[in-house]
Parts: sequence; C-alpha cells; structure tokens
Amino acid sequence: MKPPVLRCRHVTKRYGKFTALEDLSLEVYEGEIFALLGPNGAGKSTLIHCITGLAKQTKGSIEVLGFDTRRDFRTTRRLVGLVPQEINYDPFFTPLESLMIQMGLMGVEPSRERAEGLLKTFALDEKRDAYTRTLSGGMKRRLLVAKSLVHDPRLLFLDEPTAGVDVELRQELWQEVEQLRAAGTTIVLTTHYIEEAEQLADRVGILHKGELLLVESRESLLERHGGRALEDIYLELIRKADGRHVA
Amino acid sequence: MSTIVLKTLFIKEIRRFSKVWLQTVLSPLVTTSLYFLVFGVALGSRLREISGVPYIQFVVPGLVMMTMIRDSFLNTSSSLFQSKINGTITDILVAPIGAFEMLLAYVGAAMIRAIIVGTLVYLVALTFTWFPLHHIGWTVFFTIFVTATLAMLGIVAALWAERFDHLAIFPNFVLLPLAFLGGVFYSIDLLPEPWNTISRFNPGGRAGFVLGASRSHQRVAAQWLQLAKLVIMGGQA
Repeated sequence: MKPPVLRCRHVTKRYGKFTALEDLSLEVYEGEIFALLGPNGAGKSTLIHCITGLAKQTKGSIEVLGFDTRRDFRTTRRLVGLVPQEINYDPFFTPLESLMIQMGLMGVEPSRERAEGLLKTFALDEKRDAYTRTLSGGMKRRLLVAKSLVHDPRLLFLDEPTAGVDVELRQELWQEVEQLRAAGTTIVLTTHYIEEAEQLADRVGILHKGELLLVESRESLLERHGGRALEDIYLELIRKADGRHVA
Repeated sequence: MSTIVLKTLFIKEIRRFSKVWLQTVLSPLVTTSLYFLVFGVALGSRLREISGVPYIQFVVPGLVMMTMIRDSFLNTSSSLFQSKINGTITDILVAPIGAFEMLLAYVGAAMIRAIIVGTLVYLVALTFTWFPLHHIGWTVFFTIFVTATLAMLGIVAALWAERFDHLAIFPNFVLLPLAFLGGVFYSIDLLPEPWNTISRFNPGGRAGFVLGASRSHQRVAAQWLQLAKLVIMGGQA
C-alpha cells in the first residue's frame, strides 16, 4: 500500500463542552478518493477544518505527507487545497484577479498564464474580467474549485461541493474530480449524495457524532453486505449507532 | 516568513480600497474640506486667535489626524469584517501565513490608506491657509504610531463584531466623540477644571498636537510623550 498522504492520530476537537470529534484516527493514501459520509453535525467539516488550518484540534496530531499541521503549518498548507462548503467570493475582484491573488496567498508566484489556463479549464474564460458577484451560482462554485487548485495541492478537500448544485453542474464537477485523481491528486470529499460516493470513492469513512464508525474500501463494504446499496448500509450503521448512543 | 504571501495580502488590501476610491479616498477628502469651509473659513473669520494661532490654522492638525484615525480604523475593520461575512476569510486562514504576517499586511495597508488620505487633507488645508510642519520627526512618529494603533483596533473590532452595527460602535460612539471633545475645534486651555485635565488624557483629539504650531499643542505633546514612555517601560518590565 502507498504511504499515507494524511494521517490523523487520536484527534479530538471540543468547542466548550461540546465534543465535535472524539479520538479520531484516520489515514488517507496517495491517489485515492476518500469519501467521508455522515449526517449533519457528524463532524465532517470540523475534521476538514482541523486539517486545513481553519480550526485547531484539542488533542491528537494531524500529519500531511509526514509534516505536522500545527508545527509545520506553512508546509502542510501548501500541500493542501480546500473547496469550502459555502460559496464565497470577494466582490472587489474579477475571477482572473481572484485566481492571481489566491496563487500569491498560497505562496506561489502569481502567473497570469496559469490563471488563464485554470479559467479555461473551468469554462470561466469568458467571465475572466467580470465582477465575481455577477457570476451564476454554478460559475461561482467552479471558481472555488479553480481557486483550490492554484498551487497544485497534493491533497484536495471537497466539502460538500455539490450541495444545492443542479444535476448538470454536479456531473461536471465529478468529471473534474476524476480528472484530478487521474493526475495524481488525493481527494477527500464529503457529500450527502451517497450514490455519488458509491460511484466515485475508493474508500469510504462513516462519521457519526464525532466518531468514525467505519473505514473500508467501497468494494469490500459492498461485498460484505451482499451487494446492498451503500445508502442502505449507511442508514443501518447510523441507526445502530444512534441506538448505542441512546442507550 | 513567506514574502510572496505577505506581499500578496498587503497588495490585495491596497487594491481593495483603491477600487472603491470614491468612498475610501474622495469621500473623507470632501467631508474634511467641508469642515475647513465651515469651521475654518465661515466661522473662523469671526473667531479670535486660539493659542496664538489663527483659528483656521488651529483646526488643521486635528482634522488631518482625525481623518487618519478614522481611515486606518475603517480600513482594517471593514475589510476583515466583510471577509468574515462573505466567507473569503477562509482563503486567508488556509494560506501558509502566520498571524504576525497577517497583522503586518492588514495594518500596513491601512496605514497606507490613512497616510494617503491624511496627506491629501493636508494639501487641501494648504489651499485654505499656510500651515508649515514644524516637527517633521514627531509628525512621522505620531502618524505611524496612531495609524498603526487604530488599524490594530480595527482588527480587534472586526474580530469581535457579529453584525454591521457592532462595527459602527467604535467610530461613532468612541472615536468621533473623543475627537470632537479632545480639542480639534477648540483649545482645551479654554476649558474649566476638571474638564481641562480630563481632556489632556483624551487621545482622540490630542493625537493631532504634534502637527500643530501652537505652544499649547507642544505642551500637551510633552505630556503624552511622558505617558508613552511610561507605557513602554511598563511593557518592558
């Protein structure tokens, strides 16, 4: 097996008395698509925030390619890309300017050529000089993906990138994800559309109330459950865990 | 320290206020020009000298410093708060940049805006009255000291604020009253006790004193320098 790109060891995250993540350990390997599933409030985004620098874990350690995300944050942040759950855009800048700025922020010398290439890849070249607020929702979402790739990250996080997105754009996004994987990028995605995880993911993790209930390859998971749909397996696990928590 | 990241964030902040120059540069210039017209030309011609200088000259340092105080605060507070609200703060928080570099970029850009607008206001003042700078060294020191301090306060306000009206509390209910009551438009020597002594510890209006030409200004400057020394010595201890 290839070496882990991401290694989380006994990660706990507390907000006051609320525990968002509890003693979570996880490894993600180079070149795979890892789908992190779980209901709302399970801790998926919290985990991504701890890895990318948006939050600090209360306990435990996180390593990206062997570098600690707290001690060596300048290195790990250059290795990681994030497509956040919520669409965000800076109303002051055009898509071209946004990409150039993002390059600089990620420690890469801003290159107009590279920015224009990304705009073309994500079919935004006609809007390169438009105010970002005038872009459609789908275009803004594509711009977010383009921004996350300006520094060629080795590990890319897609935090529910298809939430509230129409079918056509969803298909386009997943095609782009496949292309990124083919180019060697390791991808961790969270999604509510379990059939998408079933189609795309090499391995699946199910998170519930801050605890990792299961990590398994998609193939073995489906095989172990007699070919049942991933959605059924997911629901069964969540309900069982809820019963355990209630007890 | 990553110079590319620091440079990018600094330039981004400069470009942000440059893009809306009507609001960020021209608007304070017009407002301050109106102050000069009303208080300096219209009313000032009917007032006697204050602290040994004509009234229109007396208001120049306070108005310049008041503009710089407001602009340095507004630049960091509005930029950071808008990033918080529209979610683009994520782009900065995931960047390979430390807290100190972030502070340098935000504060540096705010100081640039405040100094540009302050200089323009001073040039506008020169069209109304001749006003030479007597203490270049102190002028530079206090310009840097005041704009950097207010820019940092703007960061604190933006981090604390959860709504737009929270952000308006500091400039409207703290900065503006302190500036108006601190002797921008009148000499605090004219105030009876205890207001005279109290006003000497009001940093809002007094920050403009070193730009001033009057003896009164220099006296208060000396008191503030003593206070600054005590603060620095206390910090070192």
